[in-house]
Amino acid sequence: MSSLTFQELILELQRFWGENGCVIMQPLDLEVGAGTFHPATFLKALGPENWNSAYVQPSRRPQDGRYGENPNRLQHYYQFQVVMKPSPADFQERYLASLKRLGLDPLEHDVRFVEDNWESPTLGAWGLGWEVWLNGMEVSQFTYFQQAGGLECLPVTGEITYGIERLAMYLQDVDSVYDLVWSETPTGTIKYGDVFHQNEVEMSAYNFQHADTDHLFTHFDFCEREAQRLVALDLPLPAYEFVMKASHTFNLLDARHAIGVTERQRYILRVRTLARAAAQSYVGSRAKLGFPLADEDLAAAALARLAEEDRA
Amino acid sequence: MSSRTVLFELGVEELPAGEYCAMADALADALVTGLTNSGLAIGKSRVLATPRRLSVLITDVEERAKDTEQAVLGPPISAARNAEGEWTPAAIGFAKKQGIAPSDLQSIVTDKGERLGIVKVVKGAVSVDVLPTLVSQAVNQIPVSKRMRWGRERHEFLRPVQWLVLLYGSDTIDLSLFGLNASRTTRGHRFHGDQAVEVANADVYEETLRAQHVIASVEERKALISAQVKALVSDSECAIVEDDLLNEVAGLVEWPVALRGTFDTAFLAVPRQALISSMREHQKYFHIEDQNGTLLPAFITVSNIQSKNPQSVIYGNEKVIRPRLADAAFFFNTDKQTTLASKATRLKGVLFQRDLGTLADKQRRIASVAESLCSSLGADAVTVNAAGTLLKADLVSDMVGEFPELQGIAGRHYALHDGETESVADAIEQHYWPKFSGDALPLTPEAAALALADRLDTLVGIFGIGQSPTGSKDPFALRRASLAAIRILLRFAPGANIDDLLQKASASFNEGVLAPSVVETVKGYLLDRLPAHYDEQGVSVDVLRSVTAVGTDSFGDIDSRSLAVTAFAGTEAAEALAAANKRVANILAKVNEPIGEVDAALLLEPAEIALSGALGRSRDCLAAAVADNDFPEALNQLALLRRDVDSFFDTVLVNAEDKAVRLNRLALLQELRAQFLKVADLAVLAR
Repeated sequence: MSSLTFQELILELQRFWGENGCVIMQPLDLEVGAGTFHPATFLKALGPENWNSAYVQPSRRPQDGRYGENPNRLQHYYQFQVVMKPSPADFQERYLASLKRLGLDPLEHDVRFVEDNWESPTLGAWGLGWEVWLNGMEVSQFTYFQQAGGLECLPVTGEITYGIERLAMYLQDVDSVYDLVWSETPTGTIKYGDVFHQNEVEMSAYNFQHADTDHLFTHFDFCEREAQRLVALDLPLPAYEFVMKASHTFNLLDARHAIGVTERQRYILRVRTLARAAAQSYVGSRAKLGFPLADEDLAAAALARLAEEDRA
Repeated sequence: MSSRTVLFELGVEELPAGEYCAMADALADALVTGLTNSGLAIGKSRVLATPRRLSVLITDVEERAKDTEQAVLGPPISAARNAEGEWTPAAIGFAKKQGIAPSDLQSIVTDKGERLGIVKVVKGAVSVDVLPTLVSQAVNQIPVSKRMRWGRERHEFLRPVQWLVLLYGSDTIDLSLFGLNASRTTRGHRFHGDQAVEVANADVYEETLRAQHVIASVEERKALISAQVKALVSDSECAIVEDDLLNEVAGLVEWPVALRGTFDTAFLAVPRQALISSMREHQKYFHIEDQNGTLLPAFITVSNIQSKNPQSVIYGNEKVIRPRLADAAFFFNTDKQTTLASKATRLKGVLFQRDLGTLADKQRRIASVAESLCSSLGADAVTVNAAGTLLKADLVSDMVGEFPELQGIAGRHYALHDGETESVADAIEQHYWPKFSGDALPLTPEAAALALADRLDTLVGIFGIGQSPTGSKDPFALRRASLAAIRILLRFAPGANIDDLLQKASASFNEGVLAPSVVETVKGYLLDRLPAHYDEQGVSVDVLRSVTAVGTDSFGDIDSRSLAVTAFAGTEAAEALAAANKRVANILAKVNEPIGEVDAALLLEPAEIALSGALGRSRDCLAAAVADNDFPEALNQLALLRRDVDSFFDTVLVNAEDKAVRLNRLALLQELRAQFLKVADLAVLAR
């Protein structure tokens, strides 16, 4: 089998999940730590509305930068995110079919679902599921959302997160992420390193040495105030953008070791409080629209429950 | 009456490997109980479980339980007819209530005389009728550690439920659970099997699955894995198959196929525990040793498929472990670039507990307490002091950051690398021992002194700020710390005074941090752990109470008394003497006038004269035995009193009319009681 280039891998996954009824979206244009932060996952997981989507999300984890010297660790990498709500009964089978589409024969390669429960303290979200092993290597995360923004998820969103660099490294049989073939072009092979190595070196330097922590502290406070102000104005989507900005600012401060152990907990709690407020505000805004994407019975039940809570 | 096998299979998405067995067991137990309680005779039950299914087979479940007779009782026969021989209103009323004529009533003999009544026949339960309810109830009995929902419904289980099979012999039985209907359709292996497989009848279930590449029996999979693993090593090698890991691995596969991979020998320079942890914790690999117990650069992984190309699976696994081992090697080499002593300076940046300071504070307290324990443990103070300044330093190393289970072990390597002595390195490593219940104790008195000081510091500190463990919540593992402290003391300083130890430990904290009552609180907590400590040695809670009732100076003292009393409690004399002690204790408790010494002149009855003589004879022998800590001998001496005690109570009236005689007899009993209390309060053991 001639293995897929990095870009073919992404295109193939998009095609596959598009055929499976997912809305193929483009990455969020803000810095986030994972595809889960994208409103197409976090906000869409809230309330009774149905939603199926897939997209690539560049993910930034300032702490994981290694100046381009570690073959496996990056401060900027890609996740391929799939969300299906309600989670279909054959969700696992669909995932396995996607691996086959990428050229992985499960009768040759050992694919396993190994317990792994997911929790995001900053998003007030948790779910149960697995990490998926491919010959012992974790290549995907599989989660049934139970709570997001402190709110119960019903219907349940099923989420699959592919670590696409890892998967590609496996398919292309390379030991360094920088050796991945991104694309074969008429003018030659373009590798992952050609696209991102300089970025890893410079961004590591910024994240670890040069990020202006004084300003970042101020910026965090600003994002927090904005999120609160926008929630009060019933503008959940802009409010949530500031939640994401606050979260990334916190990650930058954390990478600079600018926040002590106990303070760290407080910062996480501050982001979670904002995420909850934005989540509640978002559900309220969708309720005003009558939850247009929900099944009728679930929309009615959710509206009744909200009315009940209002009375109480 | 014919009988058939019942099969119930709950098909699920992959369950956590650590939980599925207990879940299947609970399901089977509940179903067996349900059937038995319905009066249905059953044969044997068999529990089968894989990551994707929890199954129960119960053989010879009878189709219908035997009918039973139930007597409904009316008025006594004597009140059934009047003098004229006509039915009384009571009899007529009862018959009417039962819906029959009085003449159809019969006489039933009971404990309380002959009664008028009827015998009703209760139809026995029919298996196929009761099974749906019994299965539903059994499913509700399955322990689910964390409930989750899926899809758009509100059903809850540990993972989404996918299918149900319920068969009685070859018949399907209707059942609806989790929004699914039971049928005879199961599923085979995810990759080797079919998506839909008919089970012809319950008795061929296991074979049907086997043909689908599913080995349903946990025990069979474990045996298979063990055998496969053994087949992959040569005679001069040994694959280490620990039960925990074997259980976990068996919970990750339906069709186990063991494969052997290798890694670069250069990694063997890294502490073996780090390599083993990388392989075991992250990858679930079995590691391999040579005949001398030296780790070999190889591992065994268990896959879930009979791969078309096993080399692909091996190659993939080797590719995964490489960066993990490289990480461990990187951490080890980075850590060695700074000394333990310099790492120790970073402990002041790591909080132990908000009110109790940093790890640097904790280490300082441990060192000072351990130093003061040196003489009673026979430990070398120079070694203890040297180890005391480095004890916790490896907690800030990269290695322990990545592999927390390497605490102490990493410290040992770094200490030796820095040129510390073997005994200092030993003390650093072993001060964490015992790590768990039943684990080895520290080997050297120096390590023991530090280990003990560490446990006491945690106990006194956490209790001192009022964070006692509650129910199942014990975040600082105080139970384990207590049991470790007791074991270390019994081995290394059995005679050490418990109050003094706790006093020393609490004195190392700054004034005002700990509650003033902390010594008493912790001592009580330690004593409460004794039943757990003695659980396996057959020392009962009552024996411990009888012993701690008379003294709790040291664990060694409690230990010798408890073992002696336990041996004694099995003898014939014990029961009588325990009863006598209880009787004496009750009598003395009611006395509210001063009791003096025994006056020989006032002894009147032969039995009290004899008892007084016996007590006189036992006094010195007893005192000598107790002084020698020879409690078995002390109890032998006390056992000799039995006959005199018995005849005293048989023939002497304690509550004599003459006050002087009465008080003298009470004095005699007080002396008797005092002698027993030198060993234990046997009254506690009285039935």
